[in-house]
Amino acid sequence: MEAKLISTLSLSLIITSMAIIELRNLRYSAYAYLLQAIVLCSIILVFAKTNPNLYYWVIVAVITKVILIPTFLIRYINKTTDQEIKPLVGYLPSILLALMIMIIFYNLTHTQANFIAATPEATHEPFRTNLAVSFTIFILGLFCILVRRDAIKTVHGLCILENGIHLSLVSLAPTLTETVLIGMVTDVVIAVYLLLYVIHGVYVKFGSTDTFQLKTLKW
Amino acid sequence: MPEIKSLYCILIFLIPALTSALILVGGINSVICELLAFLGMAATFGVSILAFSETQTKILIAMNGQFRMDALSGIFGVLVSLIGLIVILYSFEYINQEKERGVLDEGRTRSFYWQTMLFISTMLCVVATNNIIMLWVLIEATTLASAILVAFYWNKEALEAGYKYLMLLTVGISFALFGCVLLYSGAAFHVSGGENPLQITVISAIAKKGLIPPSIVLLSVAFFIVGFGTKAGIAPFHAWLPDAHAEAPSPISVLLSGVMIKVGIYALIRTISMFYSLFSIISLFVVILGLFTMILGVLMLFIQEDIKRFLAYSSVSQIGYIVLGFGLAGIIVGNAPGAKEGTYIAMYGSIFHIINHAIIKSLLFLCAGAVILRTGIRKIEELGGLGKKMPVTSFCFFVASLAISGVPLLNGFMSKFTIFLAGVKIPGMIWTTIIAILCSILTLAAFIHVSYRIFMGPVVGFVEKFEIEEVPLSMWLGMIFLCILCFLFGIYPQIIYPFLNMATNIALQVIKGG
Repeated sequence: MEAKLISTLSLSLIITSMAIIELRNLRYSAYAYLLQAIVLCSIILVFAKTNPNLYYWVIVAVITKVILIPTFLIRYINKTTDQEIKPLVGYLPSILLALMIMIIFYNLTHTQANFIAATPEATHEPFRTNLAVSFTIFILGLFCILVRRDAIKTVHGLCILENGIHLSLVSLAPTLTETVLIGMVTDVVIAVYLLLYVIHGVYVKFGSTDTFQLKTLKW
Repeated sequence: MPEIKSLYCILIFLIPALTSALILVGGINSVICELLAFLGMAATFGVSILAFSETQTKILIAMNGQFRMDALSGIFGVLVSLIGLIVILYSFEYINQEKERGVLDEGRTRSFYWQTMLFISTMLCVVATNNIIMLWVLIEATTLASAILVAFYWNKEALEAGYKYLMLLTVGISFALFGCVLLYSGAAFHVSGGENPLQITVISAIAKKGLIPPSIVLLSVAFFIVGFGTKAGIAPFHAWLPDAHAEAPSPISVLLSGVMIKVGIYALIRTISMFYSLFSIISLFVVILGLFTMILGVLMLFIQEDIKRFLAYSSVSQIGYIVLGFGLAGIIVGNAPGAKEGTYIAMYGSIFHIINHAIIKSLLFLCAGAVILRTGIRKIEELGGLGKKMPVTSFCFFVASLAISGVPLLNGFMSKFTIFLAGVKIPGMIWTTIIAILCSILTLAAFIHVSYRIFMGPVVGFVEKFEIEEVPLSMWLGMIFLCILCFLFGIYPQIIYPFLNMATNIALQVIKGG
């Protein structure tokens, strides 16, 4: 029952990642991120039944991922603009590419779980699905950073990327005490805040958050 | 080597961190900021020297082994704190001049000093930690602490550099985090009672026993190379480096190029070299990466118009030499004749070049900062005839240019020559030496051109028109000191041999296990 719940929650992270990347309105993307953060916290919460120390991580993750990061995102979207600048490859090709990456990577990592699983247990469900999902959303986050022109959208990509790593962490070693410590100290909340702060400066000076305009420094 | 509990492991980063907090809270004017920064940095330097001398005979540990300093950490500690001290001294006049020009106000002066001290503190903490996750956290902390300093001038160029710096380094370091997670999960289930699976020494011992699945090891190593390699400025992950080095205030460029990128190298030495003996392909890949970085960096020198970007690309190229030496150190681990010697020489040369590059590049950026401060110009073609107006800066720049190109009697020659020698000693690797020598010749050509143009080239209009004079004592004092080190380590390299020998043996222990 729990394994099924974890797998379902985990798979919904892929859907939320797609939503974060492909929604054209940055505000809606931030809401999709909020949803993803809640799902990730729920997964950690389910694992916390076997390792109560994980409750501490849940508390920290709720503060950083569910409250702080979405608040920062919304705050800076309000200060700039909520309409995403057209991505490098166009909207429709971006959706198709993201879908293709998602299908290929998920299948590859799910079938080749032995390669990325550090322990034999990690090749069994729900860890197998979780690992496949974590690698898939890591790649989707990277895809978002690479093909999006909007600087704020690239921050969304960074957040997805980090959620992928945290999912792999909780899936690979959920029973260990140190997992909690790693989860708590590796949050990118400060990096997100600083990035948004600098991006706001970029918006004020350049009049846009288009990274294609950042071409003053070449070679 | 005996392990003893020592507070130095903590004081070395705690003092600059507390100084940063003090400046943030109590730095009501620039004089207080300067005084606090200087005292804090002088104390940090003192502690780093004490820690360094202790690490020659012992291993220092604190907080149950979470912090651990050996001879290798000791050398890095001294390097960071020495360059930090010189930078703080240099900044007094630099920041005051910027204030006079109306670029900065009191509030921003305070920001500059507390952020700089925090930045130095994070770098020192990196060298003291023995925890793989804390290593990651602290490397990310060096990025976060320096991000606003990179964008300090808050103009278009600085903001662009700041955005690229933060984004590229954070994405890059995320790969390293993934590597840490995989490695931790691979090692965690094999620790014996009481051991901490996050301690690098524990992970290393487990890896040596072959208990971590090979696929996890290779994946982690790949992620570490991308992650820590981005921080170190290894090509092709170096895109942030020229922008950040060029747009940051000159004292910060010194820290970025002189020491921060070495922290990335330090993380690589501590992590991936423990897997050299398991997969020989790793060291070969590192060698190729080093050569690629070296060639790309040196070729890019010839199309630079901005003096700071020129120096930044030179850093990319020199990191290539360091990575080459570090890679050669793992090519043959203990089977062919002469392998042991070659391995030792390669690692020795790599660590020696880390020190030498820190000295030379800091000197070059200090000189470039002095030129920019006095002229307000960064374009090489718009500068000329400054030799007579700024004799100390001119002399130091020439010495550093020759040193970085590997001219004999200067420190750059000694470390480069050691790396060349390693390529000759290790069977089948002589081609790396040939490429490295060619790159050195190109470096010399590029630096002679630039030095000549700026200091001895035709006098440009503004040099005659305006009164350009040498920078004050507080700025050139550090330059002269570094200049002396260039000669000292070049003419009498034996002076540093015992310390380098210790550090090399520690680094080789990471490779061989133990």
